[in-house]
Amino acid sequence: MDYKLMAKSMIENKNKTEIMVLNSMVFAAALVLAIVESILPPVPIPVPGVKFGLSNIAVMFALFFLGKKQAYTIGILKGLFVFITRGAIAGLLSLSGGLLSITVMILLMVIFKDKITYMVLSIFGGVSHNVGQFIVITIIYTGMNMWAYFPVLLISGLVAGIVTSMLLKFVMPAFKSLM
Amino acid sequence: MKFFKRTDIIIIACILIVSGALMGIYRFNMSEGDVKAELYYYNDLINTVDLSQGQERKFTIPQNENILLQVYEDGTIAFIESDCPDKVCIQTGRISKPGEFAACLPNGVIMKIVPKERDEKDVDLVIGQ
Repeated sequence: MDYKLMAKSMIENKNKTEIMVLNSMVFAAALVLAIVESILPPVPIPVPGVKFGLSNIAVMFALFFLGKKQAYTIGILKGLFVFITRGAIAGLLSLSGGLLSITVMILLMVIFKDKITYMVLSIFGGVSHNVGQFIVITIIYTGMNMWAYFPVLLISGLVAGIVTSMLLKFVMPAFKSLM
Repeated sequence: MKFFKRTDIIIIACILIVSGALMGIYRFNMSEGDVKAELYYYNDLINTVDLSQGQERKFTIPQNENILLQVYEDGTIAFIESDCPDKVCIQTGRISKPGEFAACLPNGVIMKIVPKERDEKDVDLVIGQ
């Protein structure tokens, strides 16, 4: 199904207030997804802190079907929320990962246009999310040789990207009812 | 834009191969043998723990008394108590192989496993040996 054609109509014919309400609905959805994820048991793999990042489903929805500005808005709000609830370092990590992944996905969408698929976009989003966090960690903790961790980040970003893109496809009807 | 194309599998395979190769190179460079655990508090190495003694003991670090670590008889080490909100460090469980990590980022404590005889192969990329 060609979502792109439908996507244009989602933002068109909407005034500022409607767009703002839409943004806050998607942000609320992101928060709910984050809470759902924190209820689920941790992924049973021997690697610290790896998770799917279900709230990125909302960010991806905003990017694919609403627009770049909306996606950045959701990303920044998400970072602020993590900052308030889980502290400065967690907030910084969320923000760096989120902003880098949105930027990478936008670049890929601009370069490849319709040739790229949602799943690949999501995979690169997941990987670059991890890379962004990795960059911040190496900046904060400079004295450490962290490169052994890098392949783990690639694989976990890949898996997270596949999972979130499939879930996005699955929850699309729910998001559409927000419109 | 489609959801999925067959050529996407090639991209997925490429990422898997690259990460597998990187992991293989790292494991290959890490010589087998005795290991030790290095504990960092932000950028400073604060403690080095020999894991080959086969004694079980618990210890804490002076920078944060709320963090409790335990060395096990089988040469593994783990965070067992911490006051951080998400407990990622504890969920990591026991670690023992070179290159493995356990981190408590909210408290700024990182533990990593390195070979006991640290030679030029494992020169730190940032600060040198």
